[in-house]
Amino acid sequence: MRKKTFAAAALLAAATLTLSACGSGDDATSPVTVVSGDTTNKAATVLDQPFEKPDLVLTDTLGKKYDLRAETKGRPTLIYFGYTHCPDVCPLTMSNIAVAKKALSKADQAKLRVVFVTTDPARDTPSELGKWLKGIDPQFIGLTGDFATIQAGARTLGISIEPTHKDKKTGKTVSVHGTQVMAFSPKTDGGYVLYGENATVDDYTKDLPKIIKGENP
Amino acid sequence: MIPGRRLTLAGAALGSVVVLAGCGGSGASGAELSVGASYMPQPVSADMAAGFLTITNKGGTKDELTSVTSDSAGEITMHETTGGAMEEVNSFDVPAHGQLVFKSGGNHLMFEKLKRRPKQGDTITLKLKFAESGPLTVEMPVKSATYNPSTGH
Repeated sequence: MRKKTFAAAALLAAATLTLSACGSGDDATSPVTVVSGDTTNKAATVLDQPFEKPDLVLTDTLGKKYDLRAETKGRPTLIYFGYTHCPDVCPLTMSNIAVAKKALSKADQAKLRVVFVTTDPARDTPSELGKWLKGIDPQFIGLTGDFATIQAGARTLGISIEPTHKDKKTGKTVSVHGTQVMAFSPKTDGGYVLYGENATVDDYTKDLPKIIKGENP
Repeated sequence: MIPGRRLTLAGAALGSVVVLAGCGGSGASGAELSVGASYMPQPVSADMAAGFLTITNKGGTKDELTSVTSDSAGEITMHETTGGAMEEVNSFDVPAHGQLVFKSGGNHLMFEKLKRRPKQGDTITLKLKFAESGPLTVEMPVKSATYNPSTGH
């Protein structure tokens, strides 16, 4: 019995040593634990100080000039910065909004502007963007253009993006997407509600009717 | 067999050898791997898709996921996401008595050049290869584009 206990204790010690010795394995999983926290109650963050809509003049999916402020003036507008070579969060975010949008009345759907601004303009040409968005919601607006212009526009909303680059170690392409969707009021044209990437279809379904009216969700 | 191994381990624990063995990946006791919670959100096109799953290791030795392949896709790579940046990695540790989790917003499998666009209801067959354990086959269901595993819809 005593021997057994000792053996078990030694096993435990060995396991502990193994775990601490291989700390990198722990690091890989620990951020996931944080993400799993229930945040459904605070999908929307209503901002005390709304953001001004960025003064972006870019190119739409038809290759035409698109002046964001002029085109979306007085419209409830959602803006997201992402890229199409993104398998996970970018299509999920846009699909969540697309599904929630379908629950709106036809009239409200016609009012809403959903704008996807690429963070990877070198690969996301107007036609690439158009093809991708068509698979999600053909009414969504896709914008591309000069990266520095896009980055500066994102920065005015507190969204930080970097140019697509090659990783020094692996030589693989690394792109960056924003982690937030910002909603702009049709009444003030100010960016007044922020959604993190944990926002679900249900969150958007619940909130969009209010955003269409410029009300707080 | 088992008591014998315990004794060996008990002896080894007294020395520093165990630390080296713990990371060397050559431990004889072995990892015990199983896969759960796998799904693929229906992708926008056949160009690119994401896949998620959890690998649980009940064994006392860590293992390493070294490759993922499927007849349905030309290429499958493993990625980690940190603060919106996605980076390819060549392998992921499966810690002893722990889990390797691929989930939306975190680590993910990236499928490229799929034979056709996977649709909700389809199943993608994957083969996972490890540094130590034998390969595992996973039948990954294709869920809706907005599937959320915590709510199940």
